[in-house]
Amino acid sequence: MADPADSISAPTAPVPVVRPQVGNPYLAGVLAWLIPGLGHIYVRRWRRGLAFFLLILASIWIGCALQGNLYRPQANQPLSVLATFGAMGMGLPYFILRSVFDYAGKIAAPGYEYGTAFLLTGGLMNLLLVLDAWDIARGKKD
Amino acid sequence: MSHFLLMVVYALIVSLFFTLLWRRERKEQIKLFLQLFLGMVGGGLLVAYLMYPFPPGPPAPIP
Repeated sequence: MADPADSISAPTAPVPVVRPQVGNPYLAGVLAWLIPGLGHIYVRRWRRGLAFFLLILASIWIGCALQGNLYRPQANQPLSVLATFGAMGMGLPYFILRSVFDYAGKIAAPGYEYGTAFLLTGGLMNLLLVLDAWDIARGKKD
Repeated sequence: MSHFLLMVVYALIVSLFFTLLWRRERKEQIKLFLQLFLGMVGGGLLVAYLMYPFPPGPPAPIP
């Protein structure tokens, strides 16, 4: 005779969803950093990738139109190094703005503070996209 | 552009970004978008209202 205790199932932990690896996570991360949204396009999230591309580009464009500060390291200002890493998160656009357009921002411009916020936000949002593309490529996220 | 319009545009971009990053289903996306967008704009207006009685200081010198 079967023991009744056997029929009572113990509470089980939720089974994690196993998804196949979509692509090379390292490549997805690098592409996501280089051009906003490209990492998502690489892992076949076309619409999301395009939406992220447009959102981050809009943020950068508005920041430049307002003459915001595109951070670079400054002597005796350690926090500027941190801010530079944040701004460099936007990837290729940072270096294009710096080297091709010689962009630096204008501190006397009326929208300087707002522009800086838009530019920094663009870089930080793209850093989050790198992590997201990495997770999708590894099959940890949809 | 006015300060308010810039704040709304900023809130719009950030809300859309996090909605697409964190939610997949349409209903949940709309819910989160409204929470983030209205939270940011409403929070900004609330802080502005609270700061209204305090006069601004002299403008900072431009280095």
